[in-house]
Order: sequence, then structure tokens, then C-alpha cells
Amino acid sequence: MIVLGLDTATPSSAAALRLADGRTSEARDDPRPGEHPGHATRLLGLARELLDEEGVGWREIERIAVGAGPGTFTGLRVGIATARGLAQSLGVELVSVSSLRALAHGALVAAEAGTDTSAGEWILAVIDARRGEVFAAAYRAREPGSLREVLAPVAVAPALLPELLARAQEEIGVRVPDWLAVGDGAIRYRAELDAGDVHVPSEDSPLHRVSAAAVCALGADAPAGGGYQSVLPDYRRRPDAELALRGVGAGEDPPR
Amino acid sequence: MTVLALESSCDDTCAAVVDFDGRMRSNVISSQEAHGRFGGVVPEIASRQHLEIVNLVVERALEDAGATLEEVELVAATQGPGLVGALLVGLSTAKALAAARELPFAPVDHLQGHVAANFLRVADGGSNGSVGAEPFEPPFLCLIASGGHTLLGHVTGHDGFEVLGRTLDDAAGEAFDKGARMLGLGYPGGAALERLAADGDPRAFAFPGSAAETARGGRGARRKAFAQSLDFSFAGLKTALLYTLRDLPEAQAGARASDLAASYQAAIVDSLILRAERALERTGITRLAVGGGVAANGELRRRLGELGVALHVPARRLCTDNAAMIASAARFGERLPYPDYLALDAYATGESRR
Ligand SMILES: [Zn+2]
Repeated sequence: MIVLGLDTATPSSAAALRLADGRTSEARDDPRPGEHPGHATRLLGLARELLDEEGVGWREIERIAVGAGPGTFTGLRVGIATARGLAQSLGVELVSVSSLRALAHGALVAAEAGTDTSAGEWILAVIDARRGEVFAAAYRAREPGSLREVLAPVAVAPALLPELLARAQEEIGVRVPDWLAVGDGAIRYRAELDAGDVHVPSEDSPLHRVSAAAVCALGADAPAGGGYQSVLPDYRRRPDAELALRGVGAGEDPPR
Repeated sequence: MTVLALESSCDDTCAAVVDFDGRMRSNVISSQEAHGRFGGVVPEIASRQHLEIVNLVVERALEDAGATLEEVELVAATQGPGLVGALLVGLSTAKALAAARELPFAPVDHLQGHVAANFLRVADGGSNGSVGAEPFEPPFLCLIASGGHTLLGHVTGHDGFEVLGRTLDDAAGEAFDKGARMLGLGYPGGAALERLAADGDPRAFAFPGSAAETARGGRGARRKAFAQSLDFSFAGLKTALLYTLRDLPEAQAGARASDLAASYQAAIVDSLILRAERALERTGITRLAVGGGVAANGELRRRLGELGVALHVPARRLCTDNAAMIASAARFGERLPYPDYLALDAYATGESRR
């Protein structure tokens, strides 16, 4: 199956093309700190570059996979609107993949391929959610390529992550020797995370990037869902205006 | 030859199919109702809602037109100005729809869209309502007044216009909505304000910009200079209503609500009419078109009718934000072949095209 994968959950724009034999190529735009994200201006161009390089036509694409976040709201919308538009135009199925899971999967694959030896069995995926929060989820790699979620995606202050990890370990009854924390949130909040049993690779490690090739791989295995129009961002947070209207701290908000 | 267009610059998700000769085949508008409780459009909520239904709106537009994507030869979308997050949903969707089929793409300026609504050929008696099957041809002056913009344009061709005047602060529709809120009419309150004004005396209060105020005279030199300009200003009017309400004894404010509404509405309409009249005089043009949601206002329509010029008021669904007008503009504007448009970005209100 030929799969086009896209992810825009972080300031990066990533596209990947997975061919029928599983061979996958990726093209990405990683803005430098302070640079404007190129989701609207780069994403479609990256996809086109890959198609041209592999000599694959748009109409040969059989499935589109998109990272649904959580991540930056506008970025997610550009990626998902693009993916939905392509799916509608081509009449192919669209599946969504957690960007946090894709981040963890990418780190695991990189470790298995031997390009980085730091990935162990336990992976914490952390995406910068701005305003002092992160989106995070934790996974256990049982067999190669297979990730079991041990901490469901949350929007949380980074200082609270160690406590959440401890609780997750209690629940599954396993004492985790060391966590590998990856993602732009892990880089930014290294100080809050890099204590004791959490290891954060160096800033320039490719393990920190959400890989569109991972989105392709996860998307290729995913069951076809309820149609492309049901694919929406995992915002994980309500709009500020709604929170203000309800009164901060009232009711079940904010999520944690 | 068929154009598919999308528009998502504010809180309406729109798609339309228009033929190259200007025949409108469908015009789907899905208006968001989530903003009322916030007293105005919340950009983040608007963007979320656009994404939820944009593809469905496209599907409906094709269905209504009896068309399929196979038939579409040009895809268009509003590039700006507007709420960037909202624009990006329609623009990204449209670029992807076009790219997958390697179709050409037309980025459209929203205001040029309002002008191009006048170039549509709308079959009489169609479900969308219409005033005539023939397009209104340049040259003409175009008054565009909505919640997002207020301007007077000199239209000499099909692919652009010269701005003669624009608002220096609030848009006319914004002034209607803010006034309505002050009078306790909710949001959006333009139509409610018009209904309340029906029983009121438009000359009861001399609000800034109104003919009643001009009749009473006594303005400063700065205001006189501004009064000669073709630019609009509604911020002072809003403040005047606020002070008037504050200074009225509570018992009177309720009893005089319809007078307040009528006088407030008259000030907005007088301001629009005065500048339209002045622009017609200065250019010597005797043809006038209107666009934008404020064009639905009955008092404005009545006064425009008294100007004694050839007047073109598109059907209501073509005056408010819609994608048929974007498709119409796309027929005459810049057309980029695949893949030259893949990097197009949206631009915000107050920004110029990149
Ligand atoms: Zn408009």
C-alpha cells in the first residue's frame, strides 16, 4: 500500500511517502528557534518533492495518514485540512495517528536501526504546548515496533510529569529503570525531566522530531476508520474563550 | 468551464460552484452559531468549526451544482484579509483539493470577492434569490459594508478596484453590533436594532455622523476636514451612544430605546450615504453597487434607492460572505498553474498580500 504521511503538531512540517514494499522516504522543514513555522507554505511542497523523487503520481496514493496531535492548534489544522482535502480529492481513506505515539515510534525505530543507541524499552513523548505546559504520553516498547501506552496523552505542567510517571508505574506494577524522554517539550523542560531516571538526548538528536515516516508506518497498520471527515485535531485543551466564560478552575477544567 | 471556490475568512464556512460565464450553480453557506454567547467571533472557535465541516460544505456545493470534482477546472479560495487561522482552513483545503488533481489555483482577495459578486449571472427565481440574470458591468462605484470591513471602491475593470475611502476604526456592521449590545439586544444584533428602530424617531438624538448632527452644526475644524473625506469613522458614534445611555435617567432609557436605535441607525446610514453620494459626485459615475451584510439593512436600501443612480444590490446570500463571489473573482484574477501555488499563505486583516 502506498501511504502519504503528514505531521504538523510541532513547528516542523514533515511529509513521508511509504511505498508498497515498506520503503519510506521523508522530507521535512525544521524552522530554527524563533523562525515562523512553515506549515502553510511548506507542507504540500514537501509532499510533492517526495512524489516527484519516487516517480509516484498523486492518484497512486492509496492512503493518507496524518498526525492529529496534540500540538499547536493552527499547525494541526493546516496539516489536517491538507490531509482531508487530499483524501477528498483523491477519494482515498484517511487515518489519524497520535503525534505523541509517532514521536515515540520514531525514537524506537531510530534505536532499532542503530542510529541512536539511547532508546530503551520505556519512552516518554513530550511536545511543547506553550504557556508553561507540555503534551505528554508514555509508552512501553513490548516487541520491536509495537508500543503500548502506559500514560495516556495529557496537557500538563512539566514539573508534574515525574509524579505522573510514578503513578503510571504503580498502576502497571513495574519499576521502570530509565525513561527516554523525546520531543521539543523534553528539550525545553530538560531541567524538570532530566532528574534521576529520565534521560533526555542531546538537543540536536533526530529522536526529538516527530517523524512523518513513523506516521506512515503507524497509519499503514491502522484500521480504516469512520471516513476522512471524522479526522480532527486532538486539541487536548479547550479554547481560551470557553475557559474564561466558565471561569478558570471551575468544573472539570482545565484538563490534566 | 467550472470553478470551485472556498471562503472561510470569518465565521461562515462557504463553498460554491460557478461557471466561467458567471452562471452560479451552487452557493453553500454554513454559518456558525457558537459565537453569540461570547458577544463576538472567537477566532479559535471559528477555526475549529471551519475544519469540522469544510469538506462537507464542498460536497454539498458540488451536489447542489450537479457537478463532480472531475468537472472542476479551477479551484479558488479566499487568501485574505480575515482571521488567519480561519482562512488557513479553507485555503489549505482548497490547495490540497487542487494539488491532488494538479489543477490550477486562484488565490482571491476577500474584498475583490465582494466586488465580483456583482459580476455573477444569477438565474431569476433560483433558490438563492436574485435581482437579475445579468451581471452588473464596470465602471461603477461599490460600497462594501459588513462586520469586518467598510469601504468605497471605484471599479473600472473585472480584476481590481481603486479604494476611494475606508473605515479608520470600526466597520459599519461592527458599529451596528456594538450598538445593539449596548441596547441589550444580544449578538449579532444588527437585525434586532433595525427592528427596534422601526418605531423610533431617527432625529431624536444627534449622534456623530448623522444628518441631524450636521443640521445642528457646531463642529470643530478637524471634524469639518474629516467630513470632506471619503473615509468612514464609527468609533465616536459608539462612544456617543454609551454616554447618552449613561446620562439618560434609567426610566427614560427603556422608554426611548426605539428612538435611540433609530437615531443610532440613522447616524450609520447617513455616514454611508453621505460618502457614497460624495464619491458619485466626484467621479461623475452614476452607477452604484453594494455588498456586505449591512446591505441587508432596509433603511440603507431605502436611502440608496433615493440617490437616483443605477443601483445594483445582489441577493442577500451574495452580499454576506459567500464563496460564489470568490469563484466569480477567480474567473478574472491571477491563476497559478500546478505546482506554483503550493506555498501560498493567508494574510490577516490589515496585512497586504504576500
Ligand atoms: Zn466580507
